[in-house]
Amino acid sequence: MKRDTRHAYRFTAMAASVLAAFGSAYAAEDEVADPTKPSSSVHFGLGYVDSDNSRFGQYSGLNEKGGYGLLGADVVMRDDATGRWLRFKGRDLGLDSRELRFDHQVQGNWGYYIDFSQMPRFEPFTVNTAVTGIGSSNITIPTTTTAGPATQLKMERERLTLGFDKKLAGNWNFKATFRNEEKEGARIFGRGTTGSTGGLGNFEFTPEPIDSTTRQLEATFGYTNERLQLSGGYYGTFYDNKNKAVFITGGNTTVFTGASNTINPIALPPDNESHQLHVSGGYSLTPTTRGTFKLAYARATQEDNFLTAAELAPTAVAAGVPAHLGGRVDTTLAQMGLSARPMPKLSVRANLRYEDRDDKTPLFKYGAGGTTWDGNNEPRSIRTTSGKLDASYMLPMAFRLTGGIDYDEKKRNTSPLRVVTFRETTEETAYRVEVRRSVAETVTGALAYIHSDREGSPFIVTTPAASGNRVAPIHLADRARDQVRLTINWQATEQFSLQFRADQARDDYDQIHVLGIGPREGRARNVSVDAGLTLSEQWQATAWVSHNETEQDQWQHVGPGTAGLVWAAALKNSGDSLGLGLRGKPFSWLQVGGDLSYSDIKDEYGQQRVGGAAGVVAPLPDINTRLTRLQIFGKYAIRKNSGVRLDYVYDRFETDDWTWTSFTFLDGTTLTQEPVQKVNFIGVSYYYQFQ
Amino acid sequence: MRATPRFELLRALGMLGAALLFVAGAPAALAQPAPGKASPEETCKVCHVDYFSGYARSKHGTKADLRTPANNGGCLACHGDAALEHAAKGGGRGVGGVLGFNDKKVPAQAKSEVCLSCHQGGKRIHWQMSAHAAGDVTCSSCHQVHAAHDKARDKLTQTEVCFTCHKDKRAEANRPSRHPIREGKVACSDCHNPHGGAGEKMLVRDNVNDTCYTCHMEKRGPFVRTHQPVQENCAICHNPHGTTTANLLRQRAPFLCQQCHEASSHQGNIATLSVISSTGANTIARGCLNCHTQIHGTNNPSSVGNQRTFRR
Repeated sequence: MKRDTRHAYRFTAMAASVLAAFGSAYAAEDEVADPTKPSSSVHFGLGYVDSDNSRFGQYSGLNEKGGYGLLGADVVMRDDATGRWLRFKGRDLGLDSRELRFDHQVQGNWGYYIDFSQMPRFEPFTVNTAVTGIGSSNITIPTTTTAGPATQLKMERERLTLGFDKKLAGNWNFKATFRNEEKEGARIFGRGTTGSTGGLGNFEFTPEPIDSTTRQLEATFGYTNERLQLSGGYYGTFYDNKNKAVFITGGNTTVFTGASNTINPIALPPDNESHQLHVSGGYSLTPTTRGTFKLAYARATQEDNFLTAAELAPTAVAAGVPAHLGGRVDTTLAQMGLSARPMPKLSVRANLRYEDRDDKTPLFKYGAGGTTWDGNNEPRSIRTTSGKLDASYMLPMAFRLTGGIDYDEKKRNTSPLRVVTFRETTEETAYRVEVRRSVAETVTGALAYIHSDREGSPFIVTTPAASGNRVAPIHLADRARDQVRLTINWQATEQFSLQFRADQARDDYDQIHVLGIGPREGRARNVSVDAGLTLSEQWQATAWVSHNETEQDQWQHVGPGTAGLVWAAALKNSGDSLGLGLRGKPFSWLQVGGDLSYSDIKDEYGQQRVGGAAGVVAPLPDINTRLTRLQIFGKYAIRKNSGVRLDYVYDRFETDDWTWTSFTFLDGTTLTQEPVQKVNFIGVSYYYQFQ
Repeated sequence: MRATPRFELLRALGMLGAALLFVAGAPAALAQPAPGKASPEETCKVCHVDYFSGYARSKHGTKADLRTPANNGGCLACHGDAALEHAAKGGGRGVGGVLGFNDKKVPAQAKSEVCLSCHQGGKRIHWQMSAHAAGDVTCSSCHQVHAAHDKARDKLTQTEVCFTCHKDKRAEANRPSRHPIREGKVACSDCHNPHGGAGEKMLVRDNVNDTCYTCHMEKRGPFVRTHQPVQENCAICHNPHGTTTANLLRQRAPFLCQQCHEASSHQGNIATLSVISSTGANTIARGCLNCHTQIHGTNNPSSVGNQRTFRR
């Protein structure tokens, strides 16, 4: 009996992106001589994109009409005598999203790797602006509304990762990784203040300059034997922002003026860093009983120097303001778990976790304060204690019944004055029950029900109390949640299988005021059916459809007090998606395949008046988004280990999103996108496999 | 801005270098002695040539590493001694009691235990406590041990594996506002450790925010003026798997903001496209963020109200 793992299918699209066509597919089929040696492949060719686009190439760099180089390699060599591996992998080398990795190791002894990755992000909206200095911390804004040329905002990350590992004596090992990431570019940002000028709002475009370095260093010692495993070490992170603030020249000086309304400069994220020591482990007390734990202590600091008084003028700073915040957050984590099978049919698991995020940033009175702010900075501490306990028991016919309880408690600090109602403690308890059948030839699946209740300490009122205390914030409000999940897998025959998944959730929020405003109810539904069909050893197909929707009902009150208009929003996001995939090898020298995916997404905002003062609540238009992608490839073998590959992609993006369509910044900046974007891509490449 | 980060980098690299020198000079671990089983590979590959080929090319098939199955009974190391009887009886699913990882009659735990007998350490320490283990997911549910290319370990193809079960995430990853998952630049395992962890949602770090900070460290602060939910959990406002609203927001402004904020002045205003003045522009463009641009917090120390309200 000959079994071929290559013909196993999965319930999903076989290829997710155009780039997938240039990567895995080359490695998936090895037609090389020696079946015991690793194989390598290289490919090179040309691709062509037939139109400028903002969505198709948003993260790949295939965003402009024209030709692109298609180049990749996966070279793997092993010296059988020593276990020495050398691997070079390059992907999308002709694109702005290129990746390269070099691995060198002596298996079972030591190894290291160098990994480089570029990740562009092109802003999907075209920015027409007369603002200059974009990408720097000094920008100049026209003083009057001025039309400007089209500008493509872009951010790019360049990431370099180094890794090393070494097997040590006595079952010990050491691993270290260091990652350096440079991020550059500019992104949408703005400033605004009250009023309206010339029929426009008082908003100006102040693109945020991005020029930062992120570093992560991790070094870990590990120990492993049959029963005990330990891992402990250091993890450090470092953020360095080259730009301290956006300094603005020009702009509408009538609107943005004076000590309180200048809104210049705008501070940018400060440098910060963190250092964590951690140790975790597991011990198998018996073959069926295991305990695990993790202990960690971290200190995060933020000591970046403030903007100076001169830089902030004419806006004043408090007397004696320190040079920097002196931010410090210490986090302590302790976790332990136990899993056991005390009887052949009974399994139990217990887990307890404690995390204390203690914000030790010193208080300073940065401003005179007011009714909602006492002038001090506001450190945020939170302590989380959670636990899980569940038990599973095997029933006849391979069914398994599981019941469990989850508990989560959060304790937060609060400041003396608040702009929203607050709650220091929330507690949530969830009860789970599930029936699962995993061990069966034809039909497996699970049915689960979860009910959870969240409540907490008394709400702390806003300041001033007279204009608040009507909305319980969504993450603090009393909530009852019910969830049902059903999964059925049906292996009808060796060749055909179906998978059905459905889940539904409902959240009921309690309101804290007779007006009934705030979050009220949330709902989510997901249904999907996947099918897999092996037509023959040469042909396989997949198909899936899914429907997903989330809804949130919430009410609001216009203005302070209780006499204003009360309005409701029934927010709904729904999507219908489908996918089809086909792979075939009609001849020994030809492979073909195709994938089609389609998504139809709708956002609805369902606004209406539900009470209070008279008034008109105008509806908001729905937003519809449709995405279609067709990918086809053919791989023609000229020889057993080389050939030509043809790829074709059709991508269509359609939207009636109104987010920016009627908006013009006071300086004249506009953001637009083509409502329908169609892109055709064709690529031809030559591949060669070798050992 | 401090002038010392590069010095800190050099210092960190120096420490790393010293550690590397230390461990590189240490002797390699003594390999486990082979149990002396005769490898039946030649027998097995008569029927399972593709499995054999994938195995022989892999780390498992590397004979120079004495820890591998290649030195511990070959196919028997994972499939059990019963594989011999299986072969003697002419093969067939489950014949002879061979442990088949595609055999649906074999409990998940039994399959995983085979892999964990060698791979329990490191990132898999917490496996038994994970949601995957509890849900009867096995190592072979995701990993293709015999394939030359394991989809689960390639960022480009990993989602094909994860979406096999996580259908709702498959749909969300196709929303207009998303991480570059389709392009293979961000994979599920950048944020999640599917083998389990000490934190929530099987995240690679101990909590949601620390996971997000691995790429978005600028949001960490702390700041002079902090936004409470930002400090508590990024996922209160963002859905990292994909949404319709820009910046992966769960809902657009003002609706998102109104889930916590109420009107002391303008916060309860009706969402509208028609008003482009003052606080009426709460829906178009960036919505509430048209003014409150520093929504993650600001480190501006000035003593005016618009710093307090995240405007500068």
